[in-house]
Amino acid sequence: MKKIILILALAFLSLVLAQSSYSFKLDDLLETLEKPKPKSQPSKQEAPKQEAPKEQPAQQGGGGLIGLGESLGVFDKKTSRILKKSVGAVQAFQPIGLEEEKAIGGSLALEVFHKFGGMYKNAALQTYVSLVGKSVAEVSDRPEIDYHFAVLNTDHPNAFATPGGYVFVSVGLLRMVQNEAQLAGVLGHEIAHITRKHALETLQRSKLLSGLNGLTMAAMNKDEGLFDQVIDEVSNVLFTRGLDKNLEHEADKFGTEYAYRMGYHPAGLNNFIQILGKSSSQGSSIFLSTHPGPQARLQTLGRFLPRYKAVGLYPILANRYRTTVKGQL
Amino acid sequence: MLVPLVIFLLAGMSFVSESFAETLYVKKSGTKLQASDSAKSKVIAKLSQGTPVKVLKKSKKFYQVSASGGNKGWVFKFKLTSKPPANFGGGGDVLGALGGRQKIAARESSSGSSIRGLSPISEKHAKNKGISEEEIQAVKQMETFRIHPQEMDKFLKEGRLGEYSQ
Repeated sequence: MKKIILILALAFLSLVLAQSSYSFKLDDLLETLEKPKPKSQPSKQEAPKQEAPKEQPAQQGGGGLIGLGESLGVFDKKTSRILKKSVGAVQAFQPIGLEEEKAIGGSLALEVFHKFGGMYKNAALQTYVSLVGKSVAEVSDRPEIDYHFAVLNTDHPNAFATPGGYVFVSVGLLRMVQNEAQLAGVLGHEIAHITRKHALETLQRSKLLSGLNGLTMAAMNKDEGLFDQVIDEVSNVLFTRGLDKNLEHEADKFGTEYAYRMGYHPAGLNNFIQILGKSSSQGSSIFLSTHPGPQARLQTLGRFLPRYKAVGLYPILANRYRTTVKGQL
Repeated sequence: MLVPLVIFLLAGMSFVSESFAETLYVKKSGTKLQASDSAKSKVIAKLSQGTPVKVLKKSKKFYQVSASGGNKGWVFKFKLTSKPPANFGGGGDVLGALGGRQKIAARESSSGSSIRGLSPISEKHAKNKGISEEEIQAVKQMETFRIHPQEMDKFLKEGRLGEYSQ
């Protein structure tokens, strides 16, 4: 009898241990298979957010005791600014909120239309690009914001993303793309810049905001010069200097992952970079000129793609792409 | 003697199995909880963003889950995340009070659809920079452009994508 009890107790104990190790491994698996974490960038907490709490009312004078001191006349504006910068130097920069992100991204979207050919007015094409883009964004790590897609009326093969969910591809790029999986990869790359907040984090690290502890609508509404400087800074990064090359490699990996999650063949972006790299119009493409060279990108993706096993039957949807897009260009 | 012991151990095993089930969270409000591991199956409920679910079984690209309120069903696995919802705990601090920290974590959490349209500051900036009315209208058109859920569903079904992928 004692033996039986002992055996049952041991069986129970081993089951507890087995369950615990099973649970641990599943979490690891999700991290490694579904969330690529490039070594070059610190990982971020892209947690899903609960239903939106109401916006905090904007505070005048930057808020806090210093703002109060300023409004009561205890400090003049200059002293107040120096004090805020000193405090900011000690405090960590607070993440830029969604309202601010959309204001910045909206202004940059206007610049995209202004600088890169304006909108290509074709409802069928915008619908198709939006279907591909929105489906990819749905399985990204930030599906809760609205994403907006448009086609640019320029022959240069370009693609852009601005903070807050604005994504653009040019007519020239759509002419070079061969299938829907490639388009999904390109849009995935742009969506990844938004989900990973690459432009905003680059802005936060810029000299413009050094010493400040945050960037609020209240501060930008109060000081129009600040908003102008913010837009100029991010515009310069996105359209001239380019983001840090590690962020571009990160966007390539995440963009590939998002397209794969939606069910597209994961080699789409890789194959499009190959096409663009061989093209004579690559010099006119911001998608290339502000990015690492095609060889470097292909090398990085080449090391990343083998993680996707048994994807031979994943669709590239070349026919649907041809019939939907080619007749509209 | 032996029968009660076996019952006790079986109950214990069931408890252990439940408590060690993997917990995931819904990424976006409106996520479908379906009757089976197929996109064509009946939609039992729509789950809210951040809802915790316990994974009971895995099949193809679907997870069978148990949601709060006792709802059981299947969810497309890429609509779930292992990251728990963000903690918006306020908790005042001296530096926050001095610098006017404005609970940005909460502002960060604003739902994407709760903030719509080109902001007044963006329109003002555009006019100062000589951006044309046509370009302003282009951004507004982009923001109001909508895809009907049925159109998206048809697109996914025809392409065998998302929930319809194998």
